[in-house]
Amino acid sequence: MSRLWPWLCAASVALSLLMLAALLTLLLTRGLGHFWPATLESVTLDSGEIIAGEAVRETPLPHRDGEEQLYFTGNRDLDGNRWRWVAIDHIAERGAPRTLVRLERSPWGDFIGYLSAFESASERLEGDAAWHALTAALAHPTRERPSATLVLQSAAGEMLRQPLNEIYRAHRPNAMSWWEKTRYWSQGVWQFLSEGPRAANTGGGVWPAIFGTVLMVMVMSVIVMPFGVLAAIYLNEIAHQGRLTRLVRIGVRNLAGVPSIVYGVFGLGVFVYGIGSSLDAWFFSDSLPSPTFGTGGLLWASLTLALLTLPVVIVATEEGLARIPDAQREGAVALGATRLEMLTRVVLPMAAPAMLTAVILAVARAAGEVAPLMLVGVAKLAPQMPVDDEFPYLHVERKFMHLGYHLFDTAFHGEDMQTAIPLVYATALLLVVIVLVLNLTAIFLRHHLRHQRGQSC
Amino acid sequence: MTPPSRPTYSALTSSTDPGRQRLDRLATASITVGAFAVLAAILAIGIFLLWESLPLLSLAGTFTLETLSPLAWGTLKAALAAMLLALPIALGAAIYTALYMPPRLRSRVKPVLEMMEAIPGVVVGFIAGLILAPWVERHLASTLVLLVWLPLSTLLAGVLWHSARQSLRKRLPFSWAGLWLTPWLIAMTFIALWATPGVEHVLIGGDLRQWLDQQLGVNYATRNAMIVGMAMGFAVIPSIFALAEDALADVPTSLLEGAQALGATRWQALWKVALPAAGPGIFSAVMIGAGRAVGETMIVLMASGNTAIFSTSPFEGMRSIAAAIAIELPESTPDSSTYHVLIFAALVLFLFTFLVNTLAEVVRLRLRTRLSRMGDRG
Amino acid sequence: MWLFLLLALAFTRTDAQASPVGGTLGAVGSDTMAGLVLRWGEALKQRHPEVTIQFQAAGSANAPPALIAGTARLGPMSRQMTPDEKQAFTKRYGYPPRELKVARDALAVIVHRHNPLKTLSQRQVDAIFSTSRECGASAPITHWEALLDPTEWPFRHIVLHGRNTASGTHELFQQRALCGGEFRRDISEHPGNSPVVAAVGESPGAMGYVGYSHLNAQVKALSIFDDDGNTIAPSEEAIQTGAYPLSRYLYLYVNAPPGEPLPPAERDLLALIFSPEGQRIARAAGFVPLSETVRQQQARWQLLSR
Repeated sequence: MSRLWPWLCAASVALSLLMLAALLTLLLTRGLGHFWPATLESVTLDSGEIIAGEAVRETPLPHRDGEEQLYFTGNRDLDGNRWRWVAIDHIAERGAPRTLVRLERSPWGDFIGYLSAFESASERLEGDAAWHALTAALAHPTRERPSATLVLQSAAGEMLRQPLNEIYRAHRPNAMSWWEKTRYWSQGVWQFLSEGPRAANTGGGVWPAIFGTVLMVMVMSVIVMPFGVLAAIYLNEIAHQGRLTRLVRIGVRNLAGVPSIVYGVFGLGVFVYGIGSSLDAWFFSDSLPSPTFGTGGLLWASLTLALLTLPVVIVATEEGLARIPDAQREGAVALGATRLEMLTRVVLPMAAPAMLTAVILAVARAAGEVAPLMLVGVAKLAPQMPVDDEFPYLHVERKFMHLGYHLFDTAFHGEDMQTAIPLVYATALLLVVIVLVLNLTAIFLRHHLRHQRGQSC
Repeated sequence: MTPPSRPTYSALTSSTDPGRQRLDRLATASITVGAFAVLAAILAIGIFLLWESLPLLSLAGTFTLETLSPLAWGTLKAALAAMLLALPIALGAAIYTALYMPPRLRSRVKPVLEMMEAIPGVVVGFIAGLILAPWVERHLASTLVLLVWLPLSTLLAGVLWHSARQSLRKRLPFSWAGLWLTPWLIAMTFIALWATPGVEHVLIGGDLRQWLDQQLGVNYATRNAMIVGMAMGFAVIPSIFALAEDALADVPTSLLEGAQALGATRWQALWKVALPAAGPGIFSAVMIGAGRAVGETMIVLMASGNTAIFSTSPFEGMRSIAAAIAIELPESTPDSSTYHVLIFAALVLFLFTFLVNTLAEVVRLRLRTRLSRMGDRG
Repeated sequence: MWLFLLLALAFTRTDAQASPVGGTLGAVGSDTMAGLVLRWGEALKQRHPEVTIQFQAAGSANAPPALIAGTARLGPMSRQMTPDEKQAFTKRYGYPPRELKVARDALAVIVHRHNPLKTLSQRQVDAIFSTSRECGASAPITHWEALLDPTEWPFRHIVLHGRNTASGTHELFQQRALCGGEFRRDISEHPGNSPVVAAVGESPGAMGYVGYSHLNAQVKALSIFDDDGNTIAPSEEAIQTGAYPLSRYLYLYVNAPPGEPLPPAERDLLALIFSPEGQRIARAAGFVPLSETVRQQQARWQLLSR
């Protein structure tokens, strides 16, 4: 038996790797797959009813044998529903007609059906000509599009008139080649990254959330770095290395293990309700009762996360400082440098990569935190960016959007989870990629740093 | 760690220029001030939480107790479920990585596993709560079978390997098993997923989930302790792994080699020598993992169902302190009793994790000095 | 760096008070109405690109404090303000907040889409969801046998799903469906409406309550027996007329001093809301539009104040 125990240990490693790989694969396929134009089916049921839509998933029926298929059918303005469950054994015929069109539009969400005519002021086009006119019109930027009306027909035969200005994109997936699909896909990815959310966060992109996340971690780094580095220098270079310093060091390290939500509570109570309200009372009394800093905002969120990442910065910087051989310091002092000169000319330059690692680790930690932000200033939708052309350009009191919170919000506060999940996947993928890239950079830097030191001593 | 006694260099400086001296003193002072500001901020957290919890004293104690006790239970239950899954995997992985893996491979695998820690809680929570939980409910039997079958199939792989020919064993060395077992595990997973429904049908005539409900009267909530355990287990594996692995790798090789020279197998050497030597380190790894599991917010919030009940069933949900703070605090007005109760909950969380972590850190530092002494002697 | 922050502090201007042509509309309130308010905001932005709505969906209970504190001038609420809340506002400003009905909504009791159950009485709903049974049921209902023939629906436990305590949906359901009684403790309290729908839709033994606008094909909304014994389905018409017992108005509270004209941005928003287009948007967001008489009645106030 004792020959077999190590196998369980080996399997633990394999299993961990497997779980990580499975998670990443899931995010990658679902997150990127969402933008791929899926085949649209036209389904005839036993009852003679015809529906058209995208097959999403199959599950077993709960009360009898058999499976059922979920279709995304869109057309909420016609039947009040976006989804349709169909028992597989009730399907008489399935096909994929090339002329099936999917329109992305507002406010009713996607339309799936046929385009029967394109009516503009001057002409009425039908058939393929209508489709070409539609694609030509959509190629213009939104404001320059001609005013026109589409005459649409659902798979069941209902007619619908749809103004062109409510349409964002249109495609006929069944008639697209691989190359066209790829182009459509990359456009979709680009729009996701570069546009703002629309239809109450159920569609569109995440650009404001990316921007908000980046800005928040930048402000946070500006706050946390000086303090973290000062504290690390104090602990490592100045303080007497006695019992007290050791205790402080343990304390700092342990702060890294304090749950992030506790920092959020602190931020809400002290920064928002405490300092924020006082600031308002002193400087912004003319705009009271509407609070300026007495409500969650970019500044308070950054400060809270700065506090949260402080231990990370201190520990990583101190590690870098500790690796610098004492001979370097002794050399500097022997040549007549004061401590300040020794620090700024010798120690800090040598510790620079460690500090860089520290800031990257802090940013990676902060970018993934959501719980404290829910308390100190993240918003479901903040149409005003915290940076604009209005003096003083950076508005630290404004609320902002954050990728992690956006993910939670679209999943849990959205209108329909089924519709939101693909977007949530895409957002989750983006967040994980950002955080992993940051962490990889930190690991690489740290490795590189150790390597270099290893040679120099 | 810094050597404990390094001279502070200010005394040694030979410069006589008063300007430079003054500047130097100024800088030292400002650094000290900065450092103390950091300390003050840290202390402020504790003081604030304590201060804001004080008004609770004037409230009836039963109110606080009644609100908090299901939450405290939920927190412990979630942490326990997570540890149950994470401990064997993290420790197993640490043992294998530290003692069996070739160093080059180890330096690659370790960062990858530590990468797991970087995956944001909100992403893990989303996958667990919205994707995994419904899947597990539909495939309950398969999931339970997998929990047993994966370890068993590994043992099977071990038996097969030991009875295999020498050439195959050379080509698939045990020291690389952490990698080449992955396809094996994937295959075994598929076999279990493929075979279970049939067996389930023959044994209980249908779906296990339904059978539990009808025959045993077991209440099954989609988002339950088992799901939280899996998700949060995934999240705490890396922190336990990293620390435990460090502790094991720090055990001087001379000790292990000595034991093996005396005729012990590698496993015996591990069991009798390395584990006792690294014991405190592993203990601190476990404590830190537990601290993380207790404080994790988003995973529990999204995967637990938020049911404030006392229940020991792994198939029922719970509500944790952290999750309750996250959803209730933004909606409670300051100075209301709910606000103070939630702040008190945060204080409990803060003190608990702080104590656990301090304990872990102290134990870890003790161990480090002990091991370095052992290494010197060897 | 600190100097920079202080500069930013010193020159920060708040938009809430003086809003010339454009400006920001601050709104704090109902999470149920989030989709609705954001869509109105989007439509408004299409017409007047310089106006933006900043909306914090924190739950209805947060609207009155925000209005009183001045954090927001618009308070979307999924329930009416209580007299206490109104009084607190009047005490602060000297005039009551302006109450506008902007759409109709309902709560639906939902079950899995294949569940054969069609109708529940209000007593049954109470017996399922509460411990106190204030509506007069004699025994709690915890198993499907009490409602359905077990051969038809082979599930035993009714697994319950609902909203978290701070939400207006939770409160309304407590008042209307539980007759003010206490909720059972083993209800999963989800921090949003869509997880309730998802949870019920994926597990056949489940039952839950949720806002009407979140219904989808995953779940089936049950009809309710009214006092006269008629079964009333949560249809658009029944909700609009109020025949469906769990229906309600959605409100928008505005901090509008009487006799003073509204700031242009707010005026434009209200004009949009009470236009047929605004009501169409409400329908697209999943709610039920106001009946024509109510819409005109509400629009009249807004015209008068112009």
